[in-house]
Amino acid sequence: MTIAQDRESLLAELGGQNKATIGAVLGTGSIAKASERPDGTMEATIRIPEDAMAWEPGVLIMPHAGILELTIINDDKNTHACLLPSNGDRQFIGLLNHSKGTATLELDGPGCYWYGSPAGNDEGRGLQAAIVVTGEVPPEAKLDRPAQPRP
Amino acid sequence: MTLEYVDAGKAFNHSQLSNLPHSAPDVTRGVNYERILQARSESQNWITYYGDYDGKRHSLLDEINAENVKNLKVAWIFQASATGMIASTSTYAFEACPLVVDGVMFVTGWDGWLWALDAKTGEQLWRYKHAIPIDVTLCCANVNRGCAVANGKVFMVTQNAQLVALDATNGRKVWQKTIGDVRAGESASIAPLVIKDTLITGSAGGEYGVRGHIDCWDLETGEQRWRTYTVPKPGEPGSETWPADGEAWQRGGANHWVTGTYDPELNLYYAGTGNPAPDFDGEVREGDNLYTDSVVALDVDTGEIKWHYQFTPHDLWDYDSTMEMTLFERDGKKLMAHFDKNGYMFVLDRTNGELQHVTPFVDRIDWGVITRDGKVTPRKYPDKEGEPCHFFPGPAGAKEWTHASYNPEHDLFYVPVADVGATATRRRREFKEGMPYWGAAVEVDIDNMAGSVSAFDSHGEEKWRHRLNNMPMAASTLSTAGDVVFAGTPSGEFLALHAETGEKLWSFQCGSGHHSSPSTFTVDGKQHVAVPVGWGGWLEGIVPGMSGQGHGAALIVFAL
Repeated sequence: MTIAQDRESLLAELGGQNKATIGAVLGTGSIAKASERPDGTMEATIRIPEDAMAWEPGVLIMPHAGILELTIINDDKNTHACLLPSNGDRQFIGLLNHSKGTATLELDGPGCYWYGSPAGNDEGRGLQAAIVVTGEVPPEAKLDRPAQPRP
Repeated sequence: MTLEYVDAGKAFNHSQLSNLPHSAPDVTRGVNYERILQARSESQNWITYYGDYDGKRHSLLDEINAENVKNLKVAWIFQASATGMIASTSTYAFEACPLVVDGVMFVTGWDGWLWALDAKTGEQLWRYKHAIPIDVTLCCANVNRGCAVANGKVFMVTQNAQLVALDATNGRKVWQKTIGDVRAGESASIAPLVIKDTLITGSAGGEYGVRGHIDCWDLETGEQRWRTYTVPKPGEPGSETWPADGEAWQRGGANHWVTGTYDPELNLYYAGTGNPAPDFDGEVREGDNLYTDSVVALDVDTGEIKWHYQFTPHDLWDYDSTMEMTLFERDGKKLMAHFDKNGYMFVLDRTNGELQHVTPFVDRIDWGVITRDGKVTPRKYPDKEGEPCHFFPGPAGAKEWTHASYNPEHDLFYVPVADVGATATRRRREFKEGMPYWGAAVEVDIDNMAGSVSAFDSHGEEKWRHRLNNMPMAASTLSTAGDVVFAGTPSGEFLALHAETGEKLWSFQCGSGHHSSPSTFTVDGKQHVAVPVGWGGWLEGIVPGMSGQGHGAALIVFAL
């Protein structure tokens, strides 16, 4: 039985392509936070490193709901794509080898969204990642009741 | 040497990679309150959730009738599905009633989808996809019951408790409002209702210990006109039905998650409310727990509760009363009929909430007894910690949210009846925001099931019954002036029954179970019947014995 302290060493065994299993294991990537401009728009960069078949960061944190401007970089020697959530329609971009593009997303919060590369089995190999919107709903949308205990 | 990146450009709408025209005729521009008041008189369309404010789900169309319905054929099919991870992935399904306006159909799906279709051919004209977090709290499925149309716009709520107004010609968002708190466990699944220059919505999340509310929004701007909580605060009328020194009212439930009906003469909106929370542990919320499991009659201009009637006081069985309140007249009296989860049909005077009579409409009821004059006596309920209690009907009720229809010519209600029991074992837990708050372990029976489409007159007398093969009904019925009742079964059959006798006139195997609301319309003078098909929703509660039936998601339209 594994205990919590073993997490890092065990993750190292899982990390990368064609090691412990065929692809990268879901939810084992890095974490980063989007930066925020004075007008509240957020920005961040996501990237596919060479031969990683994974997005870096694996979890991107948005500090609040709103507009996220993404720079999307494919540093891999293969062609991928990116299909991202956004209110209105999902946003698609093709990513040729060694390419760079952008996407503008509108996301409500709080909540956890996923995106991936809808090509081959890119998603199953590891090209699936999360965008986590933190924060609370607007004050006017909260229930009229005293603050409640949370888990 | 640094190699320049290839320019990948800017991400664009995924729907651009399709042959969609991305536009629809401006058919909803002329839909306004005056037209919705007369919705049934334009039966060529289906412009509001129930087809009319009265909730009858009865169309005056009769081209398809009891004589020729046997010749019904598929006119077109629209298919959709879920891809990737979505919230409550296993549960997604159509639960909507398609609206049709002058040849354009508007139908909502799961996970933030709304499609505009050519009602003649099924061609997709445009689509809207709201981004829904995968971790949003849903009880009990990734579903949506439909949209509203008016003044050139389409309106829908989303699973993450947003209300959006879209341009009906292209699906572009006009405005958006946050209408609930997802951290508190609130979500939304109701089809909004346009009344005057406003929209009415309600919240979902009773299983998470939220405080239910009904909201009114300005149709053009989305500004809130009023909010009425369906659980009173201390000191407000009804608060005496909650523990005086406790916190129970703060988590009391009573969510309005199914569209209400409306009487324009009385200016009253009839809203059904959901179960109290915790569902099965009544000891922490002693009292009748108003306005849970009730109909509340709201002044649509102010949100004031003018009267109420509670169908299951101090509910211990999860017997929501959110389902339709059908408005009808008898002997010159303005009445309302309601088929409750608790297994009883109630008829009320809708001017003041005065009970007319109560009648059971399902064979097996052992949770308690309600006399014809409304006296409630509970008999079996989860009482002692850890002690299992089996009861009929189970928590999905003798009729879940799916709607009855009413043919006024025959004075008959066509009721989708479920006869399934369940065992609840009280397991007390402390309240934590966003966590399920049931107060029990619950297991719905997977055998010994029954169900039917049953016809009752307005006095509660059963006139005929079409029995299903050992399974409950889990989809709405549709009544037409052609003396046909349409109803879909969990095993995929779409049935046409004779309105007066229940005789089976026609059926079509749709390939997946039914859990939605069919509607009917004409296009180019030809009557069509539309039924969203697909097996999902809260199957663990409704019919877990058929939860492995296979999924499916298609909208099938029939014509002669």
